Amino acid sequence: MIDLLGYGAFFMSSALIFGLIALGLNLQWGQTGLFNVGIAGFVAIGAYTSAILTTPDTADRIGGFDWPILAGWLAAAFVTAAAAAFTGFATLRLKSDYLAITTFGVAVVVQLVALNAQSLTGGPFGVAFIPRPFASLQDQPALFNFINLGVIAAVTIAVYLALEHLSRSPWGRVLKALREDERAAISLGKSARSYRIQAFAAGGAVMGLAGAVQAHFIGFIAPNGYLPTLTFQVWAMLMVGGSGSNRGAILGSVVVWAIWVGAGAFSAAVVPGDWQARAASLQIVAIGVMLCLILLWRPQGFFGPNGFLGKRRS
Amino acid sequence: MSILDVPILDVRGLIAGYEPGLSIVKGASIHADEKEIVVILGPNGAGKSSFIKAIAGLVPITGGEVLLDGKDITYGAAHLRVRQGLAFVPQTENIFPLMTVEENLRVAGGVLPRAEVQSRIDEAYTMFPDLARQRKLAAGSLSGGQRQMLAVGRALIVHPRVLMLDEPSAGLSPKFVEMVFTRLNEIRRAGLTIVLVEQNARAALAIGDRAYVLVEGREAHEGRAATLWDDPVVAELYLGQRRHA
Amino acid sequence: MNLQFIVDGLISGSLIGLGAIGITLTYSILRFSNFAHGDFMAWGAYGTLSVIAAIGALVGTTAPIGALSFGWPLIAATLIGMILTACLALLLDWLLFARLRDKGQSIIVVMASFGASMALRSLLEFIFTSSPTYFSRGIQMAIPIGLGIRITPDQMVMLATTVILVTAMHLFMSRSQTGREMRAYSQNPALARVVGIDTARVVRATWIIGAALACAAGVMVGILVQIRPLMGLDLLLPMFAAAILGGIGSVPGAVLGGLIIGLSEAAAVQLIGAEWRAAIAFAILMAVLLVRPMGLFGRAER
Repeated sequence: MIDLLGYGAFFMSSALIFGLIALGLNLQWGQTGLFNVGIAGFVAIGAYTSAILTTPDTADRIGGFDWPILAGWLAAAFVTAAAAAFTGFATLRLKSDYLAITTFGVAVVVQLVALNAQSLTGGPFGVAFIPRPFASLQDQPALFNFINLGVIAAVTIAVYLALEHLSRSPWGRVLKALREDERAAISLGKSARSYRIQAFAAGGAVMGLAGAVQAHFIGFIAPNGYLPTLTFQVWAMLMVGGSGSNRGAILGSVVVWAIWVGAGAFSAAVVPGDWQARAASLQIVAIGVMLCLILLWRPQGFFGPNGFLGKRRS
Repeated sequence: MSILDVPILDVRGLIAGYEPGLSIVKGASIHADEKEIVVILGPNGAGKSSFIKAIAGLVPITGGEVLLDGKDITYGAAHLRVRQGLAFVPQTENIFPLMTVEENLRVAGGVLPRAEVQSRIDEAYTMFPDLARQRKLAAGSLSGGQRQMLAVGRALIVHPRVLMLDEPSAGLSPKFVEMVFTRLNEIRRAGLTIVLVEQNARAALAIGDRAYVLVEGREAHEGRAATLWDDPVVAELYLGQRRHA
Repeated sequence: MNLQFIVDGLISGSLIGLGAIGITLTYSILRFSNFAHGDFMAWGAYGTLSVIAAIGALVGTTAPIGALSFGWPLIAATLIGMILTACLALLLDWLLFARLRDKGQSIIVVMASFGASMALRSLLEFIFTSSPTYFSRGIQMAIPIGLGIRITPDQMVMLATTVILVTAMHLFMSRSQTGREMRAYSQNPALARVVGIDTARVVRATWIIGAALACAAGVMVGILVQIRPLMGLDLLLPMFAAAILGGIGSVPGAVLGGLIIGLSEAAAVQLIGAEWRAAIAFAILMAVLLVRPMGLFGRAER
């Protein structure tokens, strides 16, 4: 029983970390209409930043500054925000497609750096021994799981409340106007671009923070944790939840993560060993098809303000 | 028009708009007979441009009918209307700027038999000798008046039965305005029916046979072009507004 | 510096360029960045591979042509593969892209192409597994052609094929009525309808050409390197960078952009190491976006 609860806590922790990334994406896409195809890259920037800053000193790698975890998280958010701001600065005066292509490129390059800049990132083996919060409780697994869930839930709630507050602030209302009324965007001119860059950077900060939180939750990171599949999962989560809604972003993440984990467990139990890898591919196919079906038939998602009520159809 | 005659273009109670439920054209009717120049006037925001674009198939139609030579083309695709003989010259962006003058003409000949395309292009050059001299130039480098000529020349490539124009004189110098209207009159004499929307009421009425005044998406008045200018009802509807303005 | 990088760069550059033609046409005519374009390459290569297997089952083994690694079945299969890939693109358009285009938000179409790309790629992994496969496992001798440069017969034929395809494309776009209609539509879709152009036909032609060229490029990658489900994804960033560098909408620009990126990559492999190859396209992309976003032959975005 306690094992089951422990697993439940572990599952929710993973799901909420996705929820956190989805919150960042919702600020970029849902609130501002900026299309980010390089989520995995921004999450990785946050994860590696915090990992490098907080791990104890090691001989074979630059870094290992032994910073406190919270400082690592803040630095992760800050560095990722800077990367996102630069991406936005280079592309946001152009058509939206250029941002999409560039973010895709960011993810490719981050992956490349993670793999090849061995002296900084540990290369394919990644960074291990990332300090975990409340590590002293590690010998009581159930309690430790719940404490972790508590920490992650606290971060998620804090970010959620901050984003809710932001979206109702004058700043958030400008973003809404920019997204919905092209004339407003044109009349704001140059400052429209600056608002978009701010939103993209703020969303990036949330993604970077999520990457850092995840790194410290698992205690280990490697480049193959930041493949395009991650980007894709987060998109599916936001679209299922309902883009534009912070609540939808979190609920969508929990639901899609449950489907993902459930499908994985199901195929592990049913599919014979040598077909496992193939079954995993089908899992991605299914999510891809789901994403397309939602775009076609239910672009407002399921858990946003227009979800179950279904008032608005666009 | 006698009762037995079928007008070549007959638009009845047209309702059209870009978004469902937001009609800009609200039940407008006009008709045009063979070799007639019909002028559509109206105050700003009356829906003149949307009306003529709807007839051309560029603004979604939600009600009413468009008959070309008795045939219902209300819901046909824009490119099919051209092939059926209803040509349209938009007001702005009416040429392909990165293609040469000749390519602009040639691209409109897609439905013609291959052998005929060149002779049709030569016809356009005969009508507008300026274009012949600039055939290899990018159309984007032409002056406003030359662009208008190219657009008209291109619309005529398929030998349409009805030529519709949206404000052909807009932005042109008086010299070009006169030339454009002279050409349109020649085109009409050659057998075409012309429907044009115009702000420049005097110049248009001078060559027009009949005219409509469009107000708030409906035709509010119809009359002979020659006498329309002095009609007190029209003054009230449109010219009055303009004089007060 | 070893001049061999010129041959290597020209070859990978022509493959990137062939793929970028489809990207640039899709962008300028259908008005969206198609993230599934790389997957057309992979699907084309696997489709061709399957047709070769079918031909092999029907007529038995065939001898390769001259010094090349492949025989006539590959040529025939590539032509069939191009048709199949075009059908795949048209099917995807009918099921997905056309419906979303009608709703008018182009960035939603981009997102759909991203979802479709993931699904297509994983479907290939499901059918063929993720381990690489080859059209031929034979080793080709590279022929020295002076200045320390060597080239294999396959590479020579691929370069020649690229020149032929690109020339044919250029003539098609500049001389044929369909090519003119495609250019007209890319400049002003509404005016294209006004001058009697059947826009559905233009859209079909765009998909067919883009997908067929993607298949050809995919087969060439398969011949010169290997066939993997991820092969298209790996080329996606270089192809986007080539299309933007050349100027969106320009076919010669896309090819030139591809060659520049291919040569830069090959030079970078020599100078800083093969592991950083993929970063070159990104560096060029960023430089273009910051300095001259309309590209070499492009026009300013409206």
